[in-house]
Amino acid sequence: MDAMVHGLMGSWKRRGERSKELLAKAAEVDKLAEKYAALTDEGLKEALLKYKEIFRRGGDGIEENLVDAMASVREAAKRCTKLNPYVEQIAGALALNDGCLTEMATGEGKTLTAGLAAVLAGWLGRPCHVITVNDYLVERDAAGMEALYRMCGLKVAPVTAKLNPQERQRAYAADVVYVTSKELLADFLRDRLRLKDLHSPERWMIRQVINPSRTADAALVLRGLHTAIVDEADSVLIDEAVTPLLISSQRANDALKQAVELAARLATRLKADVDYKVDVRYGDIDFTPEGEQRVETEAEILPPFWRGKQRREELIKQALVARELFHLGKQYIINDGKVSIVDEFTGRAMPNRSWREGLHQAIEAKEGLEMTDPAETMARMSFQRFFRLFPKLSGMTGTAWEAADEFWRIYHLPVVRIPTHRPCRRTEMPDRIFATEDEKWDAVVAEILRIREMGCPILVGTRSVRNSEHLSHKLFEAGVEHRILNATRHAEEAAIISRAGEKGEITIATNMAGRGTDIRLGPGMADRGGLHVIATERHESERVDRQLFGRAGRQGDPGWAQAFVCFEDELLRKHLRPVYRDAARSAARSKAPGNEVLSKTAWKQAQANAQKLAYKQRSNVLKYDTWLDEALSFAGQK
Amino acid sequence: MEQARTFSESWHRVAGQRIQLRPGVQVQRQQFRGERWFVLQNPLANQFFRIRPEAYEFVSRLSPHKTVEEVWQECLERFPDSAPGQEAVVQLLAQLYHANLLQYEIAPDAEQLFQRQRKRQQQELGMKWLNIMFMRFPLLDPDRFLVKTLPFVGWLIGPIGMLLWLIVVGMGIKTGMEHSSELLDHTQGVLAPGNLGWLYLGMIIIKTIHEFGHAYFCRKFGGEVHIMGIMLMIFTPVPFVDATASWGFRSRKQRVLVGCAGMIVELFVASIAAMVWANSAQGSILNSVMFNMMFIASVSTLLFNLNPLMRFDGYYILSDLLEIPNLNQRSTGQLLYWIERHAFGVKSVTSPAHSKREATWLATYGVSSLIYRTIVFAGIIWFISDKWLLLGMTMAAVCLFTWLVVPTYKFIKYLGSSPKLERTRSRAIAVVAVTAAVLVLLLAVIPFPYYFRASGVVQAKQWSQIITEASGEVMEVLAEPGKPVKAGQALVRLENPELVMQLAQAQATKREVEDRLRAAMQRDAAAVEPLKKRLESSMKLITRIQKEEQNLTVRARHDGIWVAPGVEDLQQRIVKRGSPLGLLVNPEQFEFSATVMQEDVDRIFKREFPYAEVRLPGDAEVTMRVEHFRVVPGEQKNLPTSALGWEGGGDIAINTRESSGRVAAEPFFAVIGQFDEPADFALLHGRTGKVRFKLESEPLLPRWLRRLGQLLQKRFHF
Repeated sequence: MDAMVHGLMGSWKRRGERSKELLAKAAEVDKLAEKYAALTDEGLKEALLKYKEIFRRGGDGIEENLVDAMASVREAAKRCTKLNPYVEQIAGALALNDGCLTEMATGEGKTLTAGLAAVLAGWLGRPCHVITVNDYLVERDAAGMEALYRMCGLKVAPVTAKLNPQERQRAYAADVVYVTSKELLADFLRDRLRLKDLHSPERWMIRQVINPSRTADAALVLRGLHTAIVDEADSVLIDEAVTPLLISSQRANDALKQAVELAARLATRLKADVDYKVDVRYGDIDFTPEGEQRVETEAEILPPFWRGKQRREELIKQALVARELFHLGKQYIINDGKVSIVDEFTGRAMPNRSWREGLHQAIEAKEGLEMTDPAETMARMSFQRFFRLFPKLSGMTGTAWEAADEFWRIYHLPVVRIPTHRPCRRTEMPDRIFATEDEKWDAVVAEILRIREMGCPILVGTRSVRNSEHLSHKLFEAGVEHRILNATRHAEEAAIISRAGEKGEITIATNMAGRGTDIRLGPGMADRGGLHVIATERHESERVDRQLFGRAGRQGDPGWAQAFVCFEDELLRKHLRPVYRDAARSAARSKAPGNEVLSKTAWKQAQANAQKLAYKQRSNVLKYDTWLDEALSFAGQK
Repeated sequence: MEQARTFSESWHRVAGQRIQLRPGVQVQRQQFRGERWFVLQNPLANQFFRIRPEAYEFVSRLSPHKTVEEVWQECLERFPDSAPGQEAVVQLLAQLYHANLLQYEIAPDAEQLFQRQRKRQQQELGMKWLNIMFMRFPLLDPDRFLVKTLPFVGWLIGPIGMLLWLIVVGMGIKTGMEHSSELLDHTQGVLAPGNLGWLYLGMIIIKTIHEFGHAYFCRKFGGEVHIMGIMLMIFTPVPFVDATASWGFRSRKQRVLVGCAGMIVELFVASIAAMVWANSAQGSILNSVMFNMMFIASVSTLLFNLNPLMRFDGYYILSDLLEIPNLNQRSTGQLLYWIERHAFGVKSVTSPAHSKREATWLATYGVSSLIYRTIVFAGIIWFISDKWLLLGMTMAAVCLFTWLVVPTYKFIKYLGSSPKLERTRSRAIAVVAVTAAVLVLLLAVIPFPYYFRASGVVQAKQWSQIITEASGEVMEVLAEPGKPVKAGQALVRLENPELVMQLAQAQATKREVEDRLRAAMQRDAAAVEPLKKRLESSMKLITRIQKEEQNLTVRARHDGIWVAPGVEDLQQRIVKRGSPLGLLVNPEQFEFSATVMQEDVDRIFKREFPYAEVRLPGDAEVTMRVEHFRVVPGEQKNLPTSALGWEGGGDIAINTRESSGRVAAEPFFAVIGQFDEPADFALLHGRTGKVRFKLESEPLLPRWLRRLGQLLQKRFHF
């Protein structure tokens, strides 16, 4: 009942009116443009400092001066970044200031929009975090907007994985901090660990009064949480929120290592479909009765602790999961003899992260690497709960509408749609569907050759490191020069991206080149048709597809995008009933009438299934988190 | 699923904690179905928690000197096989915390505690309303009173008490037997409006004693009793006490005894009441109160307390006897488990039962209690609707809501979103859909052969009652009863001496008039006319008397069998004119006259039947076809024979105010059909039987709905 009312409120809040109101206000800001353009740099700075003071004082002054303040910031942005924010960007910034989730089409200059809003938030004197998806964007955006912040009297700092704690503390002291959600939550949890049981503000204050020395010891990194402006909000708040963040420390556990090793050996004697069945969709293994029997007879070699039925099956299942469901070049890569997890959504390697107890070791055992010490969880929190802690949460993304309901339900964020500044000139071609992977790759290569003739830059998106290497190999054979961007070659990322829009450039990239990557067209390329994007698979979520396509046709440029898919794609294998898949495939093969519609709905259905599953996982994470807090409140909130 | 995992991502939250069981928590070892369990009891809140020995091994090691991690390691070393995994420990600690059994070093999060309390209160309130038939209102704490008074009554709980109980109850039963007929008499009026007050008074007294029985037994065995109050049982306030402290008793015997205590004292009191009742004057207040107490004690004991299918004493006793705690909850769980496991194909669920036998018990209990509860509540609602229609309908609506709408909604929600069904959801939905479809098909689509039965009586098509047409003394039975007779054949000869005298007198008068007429013709012409008239009338009289004389011989009017049981007894007796002597039945053609109730008759009016089948008791295996039905237009009230009515052993309600036993309580229609062939068995006029009309096939659901509609219409005049 409550949920229903809440849901209705959500749809009320995201009705179209809101965006019209915001645009009207932005137009008011626009009218003041000349007034501020006439000011000298000194005069503008003075005005900015005046508004900063008003904002810092808080109260009604903020609302009264909002339009003027915005206009001054806009003028500052124009002078510092050489970009003149459009009315739409101003409206977006106002929406962020209002605590909305702003949907702005890809390539509409969200970085600048966030910058405008962050200035207003920074002026409040409270911590303002601009959160985005990866370190590359963190550094790029922080550097790009630095001049604007400086002019507005604010300090800005990026926080990336490479900083040490002292540097972090210094960076977080800045007025506006650019950071990824993972870094921020990790720092937050580490702070909590330092605080021990003093996490609640009241206790912290009391302790500060009674015993100041103890609180001072806990050298905290963060200033606190107040405003969060989440760039690529759907990725940060939804896709990545499937797994909670864990802070762990490594601890020697030779017993576990030994058991994992034995289990890996034992697992080699089990055969798929005879001893166990693999459930691809849920990433799980089920033993058959024969398998159970075999495990029982062979479990003798395990240490006693692992001999009990439940434990030995758990252990061996893990070895099988490592073997059957985790693949080199997809879920992980090997760097310097170490297993590195590849983030499924960003396609980036995350060298310092590891899977939960035992699984990481199981994969190391499978790859024959030296086993690392298992990580032991020290703190855990889901992103959902974390982002709910911000008093002022707002976000923006190119693709929010599909998940509007979830944004409202979980984060209380109403979605506001801001129209594009210039009409979109991207041509999106219907998907090309193939029966087998081989046919698909051949067609992709042929298409690349065709477009190359036109001299346009090409961006090919792949879903895994392995696929990108595979395609690279094929192009190499065809004698086509190209660049490749994936988790194993991330060092040259900035260089590759900066060239990707040049004439005749062919770039193969994993999801790394998705969100936020701005590929600027080389001279003359716009006239030839702009960037051509080829997606070699559909993603679990249509939003991610749209993000990739959105690399083409940015800011009014022309562009072209098409997806090449086949019936052997993982998406269909995992998320569509085999019956349906086979039916659609045979219809496509025999060119039966209506087969296109059938295939199209097959992909749609698979995506819908995947989204439903992911949503369920996310809500389970949140539920479990909530349950833990309630059930274990005797142990303090950690 | 998650519980089974050896390592837990949440372990860090508890690993460094120093936790122990709250001081004062009592631990009892109990044996359930051959398995060892530990029951932890928090005496402050009277909360119980049952854990397995493996878990107890862990819990018992918790102390403020060790962290949870250390305790866990210790368990691993000692019991590598059975020690619980981290996830299990986290769950266990969470549950213990919820049961308020833990003491921990960090000051509790006060806000969370309050939230928990609010949530629990809300839940309790919700439960209260859902359980509208048995709402409880705790009022006072009787523990101190019980402790103080226990020395006075406590000695009764023991061998002396048992002996005394046996004697008194034995005497009570004996008294009851001796006065069984009076008892039966009295019972008939127990629900009469005048007695309801006394009945309620009796109930309050006996139930208060009952509840104190529980309380004293529980107290005697060391359990504390802290809650006493009033329960609204079907809107009738009755007292209750909370003797759940007995759940923590180690001895099963004691647990069962506390459960039985109420009935033990109730029967004791009832026996005394029986003796007082038998020895007091009928109609006195004492007499009434005693009788009603006795009635309540015996009836409620049988119907409610002893019956394990509802959650009264019997339930807890059975639960203890079977050694299956939480019988009700777990039986539902067991049924659900079977459905999930076998119908929905969920692999990860575990049975709530620990053995096959227990599973069978649980399932049997689950199903039978569901059926029983439905029947009892339907009965209660029906009874109440009869008196207060609006209240009854409200209750029906509430019950329908809580037992049909809410569970259906929950079930659909469960089907649609339960994480348990994640992997087999489509199968589960398919199973439910197919089941529903089959049900719909069975009930609403597939027509079933449709019969309805009515009782009736065999009648000859041609039959007449033999009635005397003149009064007289039965002199001779001319035709042997039971034998065929011809039309006109003399059956019985009567004599009437008076008639003979009358005739003689009339003839004498005639003669005198004739003489006088002759004389007058000669002498007095004027007198001729009147005399002629007189002669005429006297001749008429003679003819009449002669005819009457002829009527003294009773004759058959048509061919048939002369049926006259008891006619022999009439010999030498004088019978009046118009007295029945017997029947004359033509055995060539018989008819069956069925009494059909109003609600059925429209179906007969509407439809043509080829035939119906008649069965007669005694020859039940033989059916006879009856054809050519016709409905006698117009309602009737008089049954063709009293044998069809309740008083005559039939199944038609009769009007008790009529002494004949032939007037039906509700009007009916007579539907008459003809037997089409000679009978295989003796078709006797007046023999009762059943006719089965075969109607057009029709699905069951519309039939039932029509029935219900008719029932409501008849009962409540909707």
